[in-house]
Amino acid sequence: MNGRNDGAGQDVLRRVGEASVLILISLADGPKHGYALIQDIKELAGVELGPGTLYGALDRLERLGLIDPLPAEDRRHPYRITAPGAAALRVHLDSLERVSAAGRLRLRLGGI
Amino acid sequence: MDDPRAARLVETALRCYPARWRHRHGEEAAELAALLIRDGTPAGSVARSYLAGAAREWLTPRPGRRLTAVACALLVAACSLGVSAGLLASAGPARAASTSQPRGHAQCWAGPPWPVPVVTRPTSRPQAIIWEAGHGRPC
Repeated sequence: MNGRNDGAGQDVLRRVGEASVLILISLADGPKHGYALIQDIKELAGVELGPGTLYGALDRLERLGLIDPLPAEDRRHPYRITAPGAAALRVHLDSLERVSAAGRLRLRLGGI
Repeated sequence: MDDPRAARLVETALRCYPARWRHRHGEEAAELAALLIRDGTPAGSVARSYLAGAAREWLTPRPGRRLTAVACALLVAACSLGVSAGLLASAGPARAASTSQPRGHAQCWAGPPWPVPVVTRPTSRPQAIIWEAGHGRPC
Protein backbone atom coordinates (compact mmCIF):
# COMPACT_ATOMS: atom_id res chain seq x y z
CA MET A 1 0.00 0.00 0.00
CA ASN A 2 2.54 2.49 -1.12
CA GLY A 3 1.57 6.11 -0.60
CA ARG A 4 -1.57 5.20 1.27
CA ASN A 5 -2.80 6.33 4.66
CA ASP A 6 -0.85 4.28 7.16
CA GLY A 7 -3.21 4.64 10.08
CA ALA A 8 -4.70 6.84 12.72
CA GLY A 9 -2.82 9.52 14.64
CA GLN A 10 -1.28 11.47 11.79
CA ASP A 11 -3.38 14.17 10.12
CA VAL A 12 -2.90 13.13 6.49
CA LEU A 13 -5.65 15.52 5.36
CA ARG A 14 -3.74 18.60 6.51
CA ARG A 15 -2.23 19.12 3.07
CA VAL A 16 -4.84 17.72 0.72
CA GLY A 17 -6.96 20.86 0.46
CA GLU A 18 -10.43 21.92 1.51
CA ALA A 19 -12.16 20.23 -1.44
CA SER A 20 -10.84 16.79 -0.45
CA VAL A 21 -11.93 17.25 3.15
CA LEU A 22 -15.42 18.35 2.07
CA ILE A 23 -15.69 15.33 -0.23
CA LEU A 24 -14.78 12.97 2.62
CA ILE A 25 -17.33 14.66 4.90
CA SER A 26 -19.97 14.31 2.19
CA LEU A 27 -19.14 10.62 1.68
CA ALA A 28 -19.22 9.95 5.43
CA ASP A 29 -22.98 9.23 5.35
CA GLY A 30 -22.93 7.02 2.25
CA PRO A 31 -21.63 6.62 -1.32
CA LYS A 32 -22.26 9.39 -3.85
CA HIS A 33 -21.36 10.19 -7.46
CA GLY A 34 -19.97 13.48 -8.77
CA TYR A 35 -23.16 15.47 -9.22
CA ALA A 36 -24.57 14.35 -5.84
CA LEU A 37 -21.27 15.33 -4.19
CA ILE A 38 -21.37 18.83 -5.69
CA GLN A 39 -24.99 19.33 -4.59
CA ASP A 40 -24.38 17.95 -1.10
CA ILE A 41 -21.26 20.07 -0.52
CA LYS A 42 -23.13 23.15 -1.71
CA GLU A 43 -25.85 22.47 0.89
CA LEU A 44 -23.45 21.36 3.61
CA ALA A 45 -20.81 24.07 3.41
CA GLY A 46 -22.07 26.65 0.93
CA VAL A 47 -19.10 25.84 -1.30
CA GLU A 48 -19.62 25.34 -5.04
CA LEU A 49 -16.98 22.85 -6.15
CA GLY A 50 -16.00 23.19 -9.79
CA PRO A 51 -16.15 19.88 -11.67
CA GLY A 52 -12.42 20.07 -12.46
CA THR A 53 -11.62 20.54 -8.79
CA LEU A 54 -13.95 17.66 -7.89
CA TYR A 55 -12.28 15.10 -10.18
CA GLY A 56 -8.78 16.23 -9.12
CA ALA A 57 -9.70 15.75 -5.47
CA LEU A 58 -11.41 12.39 -6.12
CA ASP A 59 -8.32 11.07 -7.92
CA ARG A 60 -6.04 12.29 -5.11
CA LEU A 61 -8.21 10.72 -2.39
CA GLU A 62 -8.35 7.45 -4.32
CA ARG A 63 -4.56 7.40 -4.73
CA LEU A 64 -4.27 7.91 -0.97
CA GLY A 65 -6.63 4.98 -0.37
CA LEU A 66 -9.13 7.21 1.44
CA ILE A 67 -12.01 6.53 -0.99
CA ASP A 68 -12.94 3.66 -3.28
CA PRO A 69 -14.80 3.79 -6.60
CA LEU A 70 -17.87 1.57 -6.75
CA PRO A 71 -19.11 -0.16 -9.92
CA ALA A 72 -20.48 2.39 -12.41
CA GLU A 73 -24.21 3.06 -12.48
CA ASP A 74 -24.98 4.03 -16.06
CA ARG A 75 -22.18 6.55 -16.75
CA ARG A 76 -21.85 7.65 -13.12
CA HIS A 77 -19.15 6.34 -10.83
CA PRO A 78 -20.16 6.46 -7.17
CA TYR A 79 -17.44 6.62 -4.53
CA ARG A 80 -17.43 5.46 -0.93
CA ILE A 81 -15.20 6.40 1.97
CA THR A 82 -12.80 3.64 3.09
CA ALA A 83 -11.96 2.72 6.70
CA PRO A 84 -8.60 4.61 6.50
CA GLY A 85 -10.52 7.53 4.97
CA ALA A 86 -12.96 7.62 7.87
CA ALA A 87 -10.09 7.41 10.36
CA ALA A 88 -8.20 10.21 8.60
CA LEU A 89 -11.33 12.38 8.55
CA ARG A 90 -11.87 11.81 12.28
CA VAL A 91 -8.26 12.80 13.05
CA HIS A 92 -8.55 15.90 10.86
CA LEU A 93 -11.87 17.02 12.40
CA ASP A 94 -10.45 16.50 15.92
CA SER A 95 -7.48 18.65 14.96
CA LEU A 96 -9.78 21.36 13.56
CA GLU A 97 -11.83 21.27 16.77
CA ARG A 98 -8.71 21.76 18.91
CA VAL A 99 -7.58 24.70 16.77
CA SER A 100 -11.08 26.17 16.79
CA ALA A 101 -11.33 25.89 20.61
CA ALA A 102 -7.91 27.48 21.03
CA GLY A 103 -8.91 30.31 18.69
CA ARG A 104 -12.14 30.99 20.58
CA LEU A 105 -10.29 30.93 23.91
CA ARG A 106 -7.73 33.44 22.65
CA LEU A 107 -10.47 35.70 21.35
CA ARG A 108 -12.09 35.63 24.80
CA LEU A 109 -8.75 36.26 26.54
CA GLY A 110 -8.03 39.10 24.17
CA GLY A 111 -11.43 40.62 24.89
CA ILE A 112 -12.22 40.88 21.19
CA MET B 1 -26.47 19.95 -23.30
CA ASP B 2 -29.07 21.88 -25.29
CA ASP B 3 -26.76 24.72 -26.28
CA PRO B 4 -24.31 23.40 -28.88
CA ARG B 5 -21.89 26.23 -28.15
CA ALA B 6 -21.74 25.31 -24.45
CA ALA B 7 -21.28 21.65 -25.39
CA ARG B 8 -18.41 22.57 -27.71
CA LEU B 9 -16.76 24.67 -25.03
CA VAL B 10 -16.89 21.88 -22.44
CA GLU B 11 -15.81 19.30 -25.04
CA THR B 12 -12.76 21.43 -25.86
CA ALA B 13 -11.86 21.69 -22.19
CA LEU B 14 -12.26 17.95 -21.66
CA ARG B 15 -10.00 17.24 -24.64
CA CYS B 16 -7.16 18.91 -22.70
CA TYR B 17 -7.06 16.06 -20.16
CA PRO B 18 -4.70 13.13 -20.64
CA ALA B 19 -6.21 10.19 -22.56
CA ARG B 20 -6.07 7.99 -19.46
CA TRP B 21 -8.20 10.51 -17.54
CA ARG B 22 -10.65 10.92 -20.43
CA HIS B 23 -11.03 7.17 -20.70
CA ARG B 24 -11.89 6.95 -17.02
CA HIS B 25 -13.91 10.12 -16.33
CA GLY B 26 -14.67 11.60 -19.77
CA GLU B 27 -18.28 10.45 -20.23
CA GLU B 28 -19.25 11.13 -16.65
CA ALA B 29 -17.54 14.54 -16.73
CA ALA B 30 -19.49 15.53 -19.86
CA GLU B 31 -22.74 14.42 -18.22
CA LEU B 32 -21.87 16.28 -15.02
CA ALA B 33 -21.17 19.43 -17.04
CA ALA B 34 -24.56 19.10 -18.77
CA LEU B 35 -26.31 18.77 -15.39
CA LEU B 36 -24.49 21.76 -13.91
CA ILE B 37 -25.25 23.91 -16.97
CA ARG B 38 -28.89 22.81 -16.80
CA ASP B 39 -28.91 23.97 -13.14
CA GLY B 40 -27.71 27.42 -14.20
CA THR B 41 -23.91 27.23 -13.89
CA PRO B 42 -22.41 29.21 -16.80
CA ALA B 43 -20.80 26.96 -19.43
CA GLY B 44 -17.70 29.16 -19.37
CA SER B 45 -17.26 28.58 -15.67
CA VAL B 46 -17.58 24.79 -16.09
CA ALA B 47 -15.09 24.83 -18.97
CA ARG B 48 -12.64 26.98 -16.98
CA SER B 49 -12.83 24.54 -14.06
CA TYR B 50 -12.09 21.62 -16.40
CA LEU B 51 -9.20 23.52 -18.03
CA ALA B 52 -7.64 24.23 -14.65
CA GLY B 53 -8.20 20.60 -13.70
CA ALA B 54 -6.53 19.44 -16.92
CA ALA B 55 -3.49 21.64 -16.24
CA ARG B 56 -3.24 20.22 -12.70
CA GLU B 57 -3.64 16.70 -14.05
CA TRP B 58 -0.73 17.15 -16.47
CA LEU B 59 1.43 18.83 -13.83
CA THR B 60 0.88 16.09 -11.25
CA PRO B 61 3.96 13.86 -11.40
CA ARG B 62 3.17 10.33 -12.58
CA PRO B 63 5.61 7.49 -13.15
CA GLY B 64 6.61 7.23 -16.80
CA ARG B 65 5.41 10.66 -17.91
CA ARG B 66 8.06 12.64 -19.74
CA LEU B 67 8.70 16.35 -19.43
CA THR B 68 8.14 16.91 -23.16
CA ALA B 69 4.68 15.38 -22.91
CA VAL B 70 3.88 17.75 -20.06
CA ALA B 71 5.19 20.74 -22.06
CA CYS B 72 3.10 19.74 -25.10
CA ALA B 73 0.02 19.33 -22.94
CA LEU B 74 0.51 22.76 -21.41
CA LEU B 75 0.83 24.24 -24.89
CA VAL B 76 -2.39 22.55 -26.00
CA ALA B 77 -4.15 23.73 -22.84
CA ALA B 78 -2.95 27.29 -23.41
CA CYS B 79 -4.17 27.20 -27.02
CA SER B 80 -7.52 25.80 -25.93
CA LEU B 81 -7.83 28.58 -23.37
CA GLY B 82 -7.40 31.09 -26.20
CA VAL B 83 -10.06 29.30 -28.27
CA SER B 84 -12.40 29.17 -25.27
CA ALA B 85 -11.88 32.86 -24.58
CA GLY B 86 -12.69 33.55 -28.22
CA LEU B 87 -15.85 31.45 -28.01
CA LEU B 88 -16.89 33.24 -24.83
CA ALA B 89 -16.34 36.62 -26.47
CA SER B 90 -18.44 35.64 -29.47
CA ALA B 91 -21.14 34.24 -27.15
CA GLY B 92 -21.80 37.62 -25.48
CA PRO B 93 -24.73 39.11 -27.43
CA ALA B 94 -24.23 42.51 -25.79
CA ARG B 95 -20.66 42.61 -27.00
CA ALA B 96 -21.63 41.46 -30.45
CA ALA B 97 -24.41 44.04 -30.73
CA SER B 98 -22.46 46.97 -29.32
CA THR B 99 -20.68 49.15 -31.85
CA SER B 100 -19.71 52.03 -29.57
CA GLN B 101 -17.50 50.53 -26.88
CA PRO B 102 -15.29 52.84 -24.82
CA ARG B 103 -11.82 53.20 -26.27
CA GLY B 104 -10.11 51.39 -23.37
CA HIS B 105 -12.31 48.33 -23.77
CA ALA B 106 -12.26 48.10 -27.53
CA GLN B 107 -9.88 45.13 -27.58
CA CYS B 108 -11.23 43.08 -24.67
CA TRP B 109 -10.65 39.38 -25.36
CA ALA B 110 -9.75 40.14 -28.93
CA GLY B 111 -6.86 37.73 -28.73
CA PRO B 112 -4.83 35.50 -26.47
CA PRO B 113 -3.34 36.97 -23.28
CA TRP B 114 0.23 36.22 -24.36
CA PRO B 115 2.44 38.08 -26.87
CA VAL B 116 1.74 37.16 -30.48
CA PRO B 117 4.22 37.47 -33.33
CA VAL B 118 3.40 39.93 -36.12
CA VAL B 119 5.39 39.51 -39.33
CA THR B 120 6.16 42.70 -41.23
CA ARG B 121 7.66 42.81 -44.70
CA PRO B 122 9.35 46.17 -45.25
CA THR B 123 10.55 46.66 -48.80
CA SER B 124 14.14 47.66 -48.10
CA ARG B 125 14.88 45.64 -44.95
CA PRO B 126 15.00 41.95 -44.12
CA GLN B 127 11.85 40.40 -42.67
CA ALA B 128 11.27 41.34 -39.03
CA ILE B 129 9.15 39.74 -36.33
CA ILE B 130 7.69 42.07 -33.72
CA TRP B 131 6.23 40.58 -30.53
CA GLU B 132 3.13 42.52 -29.62
CA ALA B 133 1.43 42.41 -26.23
CA GLY B 134 -1.67 40.23 -26.12
CA HIS B 135 -5.13 41.79 -26.15
CA GLY B 136 -6.86 39.25 -23.97
CA ARG B 137 -7.15 41.39 -20.87
CA PRO B 138 -10.45 41.31 -19.00
CA CYS B 139 -12.91 44.18 -19.37
